[in-house]
Amino acid sequence: MEILTGNELTSGGTVYLDAQNTWVEDLQAARVFGKEEAAERDAALAATKATGRIISVEAEEVTQDQGRIVPKRLRERIRAAGPTAPLTLNGEIYDRQHLDEDGHVSI
Amino acid sequence: MYRYDEFDAAFVAGRTAQFSDQVKRRLSGELSEEQFRPLRLMNGLYLQLHAYMMRIAVPYGTLSSRQMRMFAHIARTYDRGYGHFTTRQNIQFNWPRLKDIPRILEELASVEMHAIQTSGNCIRNVTADHFAGAAADEIIDPRPIAEILRQWSSLHPEFSYLPRKFKIAVTGSPNDRAAIRFHDIGLQAATNAAGDIGWEVWVGGGLGRTPMIGKLINGFVPNEHLLAYLESIMRVYNRYGRRDNKYKARIKILVHEEGLETIKGQVEAEFAEVRGGVLTLPQEEVDRITAYFAPPAFTPQPATRIDVAYESIIDPAYGRWLDNNINSHREPGYASVTISLKPVGGAPGDATDKQMDDIADIAERYGFDELRVTHEQNLVLPHVAIADLRAVYDALVATGVADGNNGLITDMICCPGLDFCALANARSIPLAQEISRKFAEPARQAEIGDLKIKISGCINACGHHHVGHIGILGVEKKGGELYQITLGGDATEQAAVGKIIGPGFEAENVPGAIETLVDTYIARRQSADESFIDAYRRLGEAPFKEALYGTA
Repeated sequence: MEILTGNELTSGGTVYLDAQNTWVEDLQAARVFGKEEAAERDAALAATKATGRIISVEAEEVTQDQGRIVPKRLRERIRAAGPTAPLTLNGEIYDRQHLDEDGHVSI
Repeated sequence: MYRYDEFDAAFVAGRTAQFSDQVKRRLSGELSEEQFRPLRLMNGLYLQLHAYMMRIAVPYGTLSSRQMRMFAHIARTYDRGYGHFTTRQNIQFNWPRLKDIPRILEELASVEMHAIQTSGNCIRNVTADHFAGAAADEIIDPRPIAEILRQWSSLHPEFSYLPRKFKIAVTGSPNDRAAIRFHDIGLQAATNAAGDIGWEVWVGGGLGRTPMIGKLINGFVPNEHLLAYLESIMRVYNRYGRRDNKYKARIKILVHEEGLETIKGQVEAEFAEVRGGVLTLPQEEVDRITAYFAPPAFTPQPATRIDVAYESIIDPAYGRWLDNNINSHREPGYASVTISLKPVGGAPGDATDKQMDDIADIAERYGFDELRVTHEQNLVLPHVAIADLRAVYDALVATGVADGNNGLITDMICCPGLDFCALANARSIPLAQEISRKFAEPARQAEIGDLKIKISGCINACGHHHVGHIGILGVEKKGGELYQITLGGDATEQAAVGKIIGPGFEAENVPGAIETLVDTYIARRQSADESFIDAYRRLGEAPFKEALYGTA
């Protein structure tokens, strides 16, 4: 199983393609492509590239654990959640990057 | 310090306007990412795991209070309230937004800074001894030559598309604090038989996946011919350096594959062509640039002697700071102060906007308005009157950067690792945090003495693990993280590449493994005066290996 992920152009924030063909912050909203859906995945990739608004787009392998999407690679789990280092700055933990107000991208 | 002249100012303003227009065209969709990516990389703008990362050049690690305050302002206004000082004496911001980049660059230009030469296959920002112009052991202040190299290399048209990136480091002292033997070119001040000061030129050093110690290609190049000689090296590299494989494209591979004598012959042939030409450095130009780096107006200081033993009893933390964070100054009555960015449990090299502002204030009040960034991810006040040390210490305590751990086990170099970096295979910062907590006790750190741990989250070695007395390299194994330990590396004039001594460790076992190595050292050292690296050189790897892995 795979999901599509990338970084939104203006914020650089991590995003996922959801079932409504919108790029969103929430990993759990990502559309999961089965093995038989390679053509749909590739079409979504091509349509995304055509928007020019999502960069570094990749297909990532995931598993589903009790309905939750779990990326296989640690790198992707960190991309989804933000830095893991238990650090605080001015009393706040390192959060992941959030999209700008103009970060809405659909294909 | 150097101040921009009209050419510098026009050049940076022009570049800022150009890149601002490119950003605008990217946001409007006029430029594709494919077109934009090489442009942003020429302007220090990377895409990392979570966001863009902007790397700003600090030429030869020297900056003023005004420039430090600008970093604080950028951190506060456009980022998340902190910055990360790097092993190349630069600063990185981890969370900028693309639309803010033009404004950030304009603000930087207003304090004579930019992000050029912090990325791409060009001659990168030149690095230097962080005690340059202050150290008691220096032959000459290397910053005038570093500045001349900056001017020569900035957007050098012939060297903007090299086979790979190219790094130059320079030191004016025989005690190498700039790791010059691990750069593509390293320059070390030298004196010839006539007493003239010139430069030893080392070539083909580097870290990364193929660590190499630089080789001495010329024992003395006079100032006037230095640019011609360096340009000759660059031309040989640009012509013969491999472009078929990015992992073999650095000059270290060329020197290694062709042999030093072959390369030397090619460089000498080129040098014979260009020597005495337009690249000859007129003495008046050297003098003009040197004048920018004139020593500050030191005032004669009353004989001030600090009784460190006494202070250590009265205030142990201050005593530790005096013991470890003060470096001898060439001017009587003055010292250089290392500001540790390595608090226990912190991210090595990080400073908040408030800390940067406070440090700028301290530099302005007590340090002739001058600061340095070290390649070991600390900051330096190069010129502080010994009589002001207590006041400086108190001010550093107030802003939380007064750890007296310079050179000790908690003073680790650490790359951003997989928490931030798109290239990393494993995390680095959490490991540094754990190790610093394990060895947090000051008495334990003092007992261990000088020990350099360096941590990289991938083979690209931004955390300099190859030259750590103890190096830690994070790798990916079966979807998880594994950490290889190396021993015996040394970035100084006694340059050595560390050796892997056995199988890697899971993250949770690394601090324990470090403790085993440390305990082995303490048990085997001849006295407390024998440092870890000296003991390792005497004993070899066997006792350490046995302690970690047993005798089987």
